[in-house]
Amino acid sequence: MISIVAETIEVLERRIDELRVAVRQAVLAGDRALAARQRSALTSAERAWEDALEEAAAQTEADPLARAGPVARGSVAQGKAAQSRAAEPPARSGSLLPLREQVYEALSLLQVPAAPKLIATVHEAFFGATFPTTRVTSLKRDEERSFRTAPFARPYYICAALSADYLAPSRGLLAVSTWPLELRVIGSLSPRVDFLTAAIRVAEAIERIPEPPAAARRLLQRFAASVSGAISAGGGADPAAVREAARAELTVHREADAKARRVAAERARGLQHAEQLFGTAMFRDRAGDGAADGADIAGRGAGE
Amino acid sequence: MTLLTAFARAEAAAAGRAQRIRTVRHVHLSRRPLVVIPLQLAGEACAPLAVMLGDDPDKPRTLTVYEPRDRARRFEFAADLAEVILGHLDGYLPPDDPDVHAGTPTQGAPAQGAPAQGAPTQGAPTPGAPIQGAPALEPLPDAPQLLVPNPNAAAFLRLLGRSTRLRRTDGEHAVRPTVPLLGRWLTHYGERAEVPGSALLLAMTTALAEHWATGQSDLEDANLAALLGWVDPPDGLTGQQAARLAEDPVRCPPAGPVTDPTFDNEVLEGRMAAIRDATEAGDGPALARAQAAMDAALHSQLAPTWDLMWRAHALLAELPEAAHAQRRWKDDRRSFTAQAAWLREGGAPQPRRDSAVAAAKRLARLEREQQRLAVERAHDDSLVMAEYRLTGEAFAGTVVDADLTRLDTDGKKPKLRPWLIVQTTDAVIVEPDAVLANPAFPGQAAKVIEVADASREPGRTLVTLELSGGMGRALTAPPGSTPARGDAVTYTTLRDDFQPAPQFPSREETPWTHGGPPPEYVPTDDDAQEAWS
Amino acid sequence: MTARQPGAGLQTGLDRLRGRALPKNHDARTISALAANPGCARRALMDAAGVDKQRVAAHVGFAAQFGQSRFAIVRGNAFEAQVKENGAAQLLILLRDLLDLDVSEVGYADFNDVGGNSSAELRHLHTRHVLTAPDQPGRTLLDHPLLRLRVGGRHAYLEPDLIALRLDGTFHVIEVKSFAVIDGQADPGKVAAAAIQSAVYVRALRDLVTEAGGDPAAVSHKTILVAPRDFSSQPTAASLDVRRQLGVLDRQLSRIASIETLLARYPGTLTFDLDPDAQGRPRRPAAELAAAIGQVAASYAPECLATCELCFLCRDEAGGTTGALGKPVREDLGGIEYIAQARSLARGQVPAPEQAEIAAQLLRAAQLRAQVLGEAV
Repeated sequence: MISIVAETIEVLERRIDELRVAVRQAVLAGDRALAARQRSALTSAERAWEDALEEAAAQTEADPLARAGPVARGSVAQGKAAQSRAAEPPARSGSLLPLREQVYEALSLLQVPAAPKLIATVHEAFFGATFPTTRVTSLKRDEERSFRTAPFARPYYICAALSADYLAPSRGLLAVSTWPLELRVIGSLSPRVDFLTAAIRVAEAIERIPEPPAAARRLLQRFAASVSGAISAGGGADPAAVREAARAELTVHREADAKARRVAAERARGLQHAEQLFGTAMFRDRAGDGAADGADIAGRGAGE
Repeated sequence: MTLLTAFARAEAAAAGRAQRIRTVRHVHLSRRPLVVIPLQLAGEACAPLAVMLGDDPDKPRTLTVYEPRDRARRFEFAADLAEVILGHLDGYLPPDDPDVHAGTPTQGAPAQGAPAQGAPTQGAPTPGAPIQGAPALEPLPDAPQLLVPNPNAAAFLRLLGRSTRLRRTDGEHAVRPTVPLLGRWLTHYGERAEVPGSALLLAMTTALAEHWATGQSDLEDANLAALLGWVDPPDGLTGQQAARLAEDPVRCPPAGPVTDPTFDNEVLEGRMAAIRDATEAGDGPALARAQAAMDAALHSQLAPTWDLMWRAHALLAELPEAAHAQRRWKDDRRSFTAQAAWLREGGAPQPRRDSAVAAAKRLARLEREQQRLAVERAHDDSLVMAEYRLTGEAFAGTVVDADLTRLDTDGKKPKLRPWLIVQTTDAVIVEPDAVLANPAFPGQAAKVIEVADASREPGRTLVTLELSGGMGRALTAPPGSTPARGDAVTYTTLRDDFQPAPQFPSREETPWTHGGPPPEYVPTDDDAQEAWS
Repeated sequence: MTARQPGAGLQTGLDRLRGRALPKNHDARTISALAANPGCARRALMDAAGVDKQRVAAHVGFAAQFGQSRFAIVRGNAFEAQVKENGAAQLLILLRDLLDLDVSEVGYADFNDVGGNSSAELRHLHTRHVLTAPDQPGRTLLDHPLLRLRVGGRHAYLEPDLIALRLDGTFHVIEVKSFAVIDGQADPGKVAAAAIQSAVYVRALRDLVTEAGGDPAAVSHKTILVAPRDFSSQPTAASLDVRRQLGVLDRQLSRIASIETLLARYPGTLTFDLDPDAQGRPRRPAAELAAAIGQVAASYAPECLATCELCFLCRDEAGGTTGALGKPVREDLGGIEYIAQARSLARGQVPAPEQAEIAAQLLRAAQLRAQVLGEAV
């Protein structure tokens, strides 16, 4: 029984190798259809192989004398490299809060709309737990669905920031629904203004902690590198210096940005609630026919 | 590219196999070189993926990086690589016994970072170059030779050297001490590879293409498998057929360092994902399997090139070695010895950029070496000399008349100035007063006195030459110190001038036009950290 | 310099040449490659008609894959995203240095879609509107604007990574690449390719500005290259002067613009159609397709191996020519076209008068080789 399983494993391995070659040859020949077919055959073979391995492993537990598991054929890897890379403990996520609450924590520290990557980094730096950014992007979709099903049922929603020109959802940004509209609309100066504001918030947050973790200091360093005059002589980032430099630049942009946001917020107040939170779908192309009129565009953009 | 080599390519295309364009091997070839085949991950500046290396064709060692995007892993890999490479290098260094080692530099070698005090101003030594003012180091009897598949692989090793030699061994991003040491050696080898005629780090495609002309373009020659397909086609196949097969990346994986994209997309990505998943899940057995699978995949991409490298080595080794190849290899050995001494003295690592004086010196040295190489190659190899015969810068013929006792009585003292008349069928474009050289009589100059058509034989030219030098100080030439009547001779304008190297100011005296004296180079934290994100 | 509006006749002719497949779009890379070998009628026609050269080559048995490793693609995208995040914060600092940006010049505008709609026509209209409107409040960095360029009878949509628009109305094209700049130096081949690509964008932008009645000189010939510094992910920026590339590009584009004349040389029945079935498999007999391709002359050089999907096909055709061995080889052989010809002359064949000199050289070369190799062996 054991030898049959071992033989199956060998047969499968050969088949897998052949299929891999076949896939590559199909790709090289430009035959995408064939490549796709070979790839799915390959996936099936690989799954069968995994199953066969598990079966072999189970049998070995019953019969310790049998040799279990395939040996990777053709490998002559020597030296410590192959053996010494033992499995390392995976990065722990740690937090017991649901994702939406972690995102809320991070955004509340920043107090400006932010991208998933920044949100995750801020959370890791100040709240000790990290999450993959892919989960954050799907969160916005879930929140919209939840809102549309039962509007305002929850105390807050993780929502979109709206672009000032067409009030469409600003790509890649998340905000909190309880924030004033002025904070949740994005004018042309807003990305920079919000970045500088975020830098100040991060600096202040660090100053509140007696011994800031390395992740927080690294985050401040990255902010400082993109603010003129924020890096100290030694090359480090001191929270007070970062605050000062960011504030100094903010004074240049603040008024113009505030004005643009006020105007956009005014227009946004005319929208339905769901659209105020998750943006309009004005030009979104439903049938993929790209049907929108150039005249429309020339007319609207003037609101800036 | 010359007419002769272009013609050889045409012949190769018709013959279905490569044609020799050299009669001798112009590069030193070690009997036990260290063959190094690196693979890198696409998309990053210097992300090693795997290396296969060894000095024994039956015992390749493969080092794999399971997560090549992880910088920490990169330096672990570098430490493993260092063990192998430094281990090989150590075999050529004498034990660290000051009595045994000859010619240790005494004065003139400033300690790291400190300016020379009280000593006469001299340029700070460039690592690896002979140290001025110190007794010349006796070069070690042999030096390690590294062989890589192609120039891109050499550039990759050099880049790896650059990314590791400035690392700190303490502090937040500490690496093991062997890592910067490896970096400095790789940088040294990489820089030495730029010197014309050097054989310390040899790219096999370049070496093969120098000695054989294939029936394809030089762009296609950059593929080691295709090149070997022409030079040594398998039984029953023409060079072209063999080269076509070699171009199929599934059958014949590229020699690297860049991997085939279909391999990356269809095989490598999956193996790396499996390792990542198993690591995250903490599944030990699955991780071991996934790692073994990645090892096997990379081995499949490296093993064929390994075989090609040793085949190439064997083919080159069959050629007799050129006379001056040893002169150049001695310079290589000297460079290796000097670098080893520098390291032992605790010298600073090579800086990121050359200072103005160092750059100028280096350029002058490279030009000089290029000139010497051209002369030596022509003198060593009649096929190379044939190229100059075709352009008229050289001619071969027979000595039809000789006055070996002729004296020049113009000056205060009479001088021995024999005359030869050489008859040749080659084109001759040299003019009277040109000074020529004869490879068989180094150190002897031949001044052209007259060039005339042979009166009774069309297509033949008579060249009258006046010889000087290489005959001793007496007024009669010792027998055999000059060509004699009836000898076959070759004369060429290609001479080594033996010009002394130009004088450069010392570092401290760098003129203001070139930025003034550069600051002393001290490795900084900046270099050591070099942003990790 | 703007080409004439392509006539309906030309468009129909090109469509017929391509067959039923949808046209493959040009991008800056294909335009630069096309401009590099303008003498190749085969490539010029196929690219003008939007033929999928890879599928055509594969069907006649000369598949050449120009795939890219996903690792490179992912890394490139990740680096570009990093440079652009937070209103391109990292880039702003670099540009303050390189272009002397004023502190107030920080505006950011996203042209990846228009209110959620990412159709090319819409994005291009929006781009045109924004770039040519008289006063532009606070926009300095424009992310993925969509430009257009007429190449040999068709429009190509081109998408530079970024454009910087200064307070004084000057434009700078910005390209983000993921090859590293180490100790201030980068791979010269890659930098050269980036320069040509940037020149294509400069040309397209200048045309746009001209069409709107503006001064094309407002688009600077100094473009910006952003790339990772040393071995890190931190970006560094450098200025590229693309005047020379612009000159070359303009010359090549004007040669390509005469595609109508080129097309007129061939019968209206000529087509590279693959005649695919419902599953997309080509039904056209390979020999017939090969014959069609053969009707249009190519201009093969080994450099094609790195840039054109037809390379193996054309290389096979060029077998026996000295050009296949490389331009320098052909030149060294005095411009003689065929290997067999060169070899015959080297063996004493009587030359044509204009070949007398090279024939004498070849004869001598053969004699010398025979003499030396005879001696050596």
